[in-house]
Amino acid sequence: MTTPHAKPAYPQPRETPTNSPMLAAWREGALALQKCDACGHVFFYPRSVCPKCWNPRLLWFRSDGRARIVSFSRIYRGLPNAFADEAPVVLAELTITEGALMLARVICDDAGAIQSDIPVRLLSMPEATRYPLPTFTLD
Amino acid sequence: MLSRDIGLIGYGNSIYEKRATRTEYSYLAEAARGALASAGVDKSEIDGLAISSTTLPPDNAATAAEYLGLALSWANVSTAGGAGAVISSINAVEAIEAGKANYVLCLAGGAQDMASFQNRITKFNAAVVDYLTPHGFGGMNGLFAIITRKHMERYGTGREQLGRIAVHQRANARYNEQALLRDPMTMEDYLAAPVIADPLVLFDCVLPCSGAEAVLIGPLDRVAKKKRVRVLAGAERHNHPIGEVAPLSGGWEVFRDGLYNAAALAPRDMDFVQAYDDYPIMVAIQLEDLGFCEKGEIGSFLAANTMTLDGSFPLNTGGAQLSCGQSGGGGGLITLVEAVRQLRNEAGPRQVKNATRGLVSGYGMVGYGHGLSASAMILETVS
Repeated sequence: MTTPHAKPAYPQPRETPTNSPMLAAWREGALALQKCDACGHVFFYPRSVCPKCWNPRLLWFRSDGRARIVSFSRIYRGLPNAFADEAPVVLAELTITEGALMLARVICDDAGAIQSDIPVRLLSMPEATRYPLPTFTLD
Repeated sequence: MLSRDIGLIGYGNSIYEKRATRTEYSYLAEAARGALASAGVDKSEIDGLAISSTTLPPDNAATAAEYLGLALSWANVSTAGGAGAVISSINAVEAIEAGKANYVLCLAGGAQDMASFQNRITKFNAAVVDYLTPHGFGGMNGLFAIITRKHMERYGTGREQLGRIAVHQRANARYNEQALLRDPMTMEDYLAAPVIADPLVLFDCVLPCSGAEAVLIGPLDRVAKKKRVRVLAGAERHNHPIGEVAPLSGGWEVFRDGLYNAAALAPRDMDFVQAYDDYPIMVAIQLEDLGFCEKGEIGSFLAANTMTLDGSFPLNTGGAQLSCGQSGGGGGLITLVEAVRQLRNEAGPRQVKNATRGLVSGYGMVGYGHGLSASAMILETVS
């Protein structure tokens, strides 16, 4: 039974036939990305066709989990209840080593240490399982 | 080429409120009554309706017609968020020219407050629900903070330079009774405001509110010459550039040359600009993309210009969303209504002197990281 003061659970993504390989990999602490079998385009978020050439044959592969911060924000206010006590939430645009662009949280005890153009890596297990989507930390 | 004989013949707006005291249709109806009154057109003559609202679904233009007691031969609901009202108005001119309707009412607005807005944006569309909301992304503030930082770091754009947009628009809002935020604001006030999502502070972020706007499109010769506002050119672009998450351009640059060519005018010919202002960075990017300065040079442009209604570059002359509030999809029409008011020389204490030409631009429909839709139109007084 939850008390009125219990922290709400994080909102969860809806699992679909399209995104379930990505979500399943993340439950093991890995980042799974799609690569187009025809044109080689690597992208996020998951889709049923390649957004570049519309080829439906997409291959899932596991990224090495490394990325660079392109830009970011430390979000202090206006956060949903499940996140409010974690302010500032760091949301960053990342370039994944294999080429995809994505938006993801970067977990860091010292939010002041976050800068553009620094390397990040996926969170390790078991901390990773706390978060609904692939989440990063400073490398 | 848009018809030179069909254009904007009426405009209206409702009150703006921080918390909704009425239903959405109530705000829309108040704005609609104003638009008809300003044109001298009777309700029974309206046979076209276009609505741009992010809060209206599952209702639509047909259910709005039922509520308002209108029988229609043309009905349209925009998919483009804050870019939608400008697009609907262009579509309305084309629909009348094609014989599908005689008088088209374009409405935009919403009934919402901060709490309902914050709930709604977590469900904005599929990509937001599944790939942003689980991160606690902080709503649009978080996304536009990322774009703002990128522009600052890439081009050296300064906080004080971008802040001039918010400060000068607030000065314009002092003469607008519709504006929810009318207190004077200095640059010191702006810089000292609480950080919301760095580098954004409180006065960079629009205030969600309730309210509505309306314009009436029809044959220009229906109204007195001084009330005729012609649409010289209009354009839209969606999902440009493809595949980017936090781009520093929004699509206006793709259609810019065609827009000015169709109007046979250049950026320097505009007496004012009414730009979509969910955040100062997007006003800045619109001004760059629409050719008022080169890409990356907006910082020095803003520093060199005064954006007040009597300044060197009159921008958002009624204070726009950063001062009036963001009424859902109404944000995309508040700028157009202000442009028509200015071009009819009916803006009272905030009239831009001798304004005969202006540019209105729209932006909206945030997907995975940024707004996907861009629009713009160039308007001119006929007399």
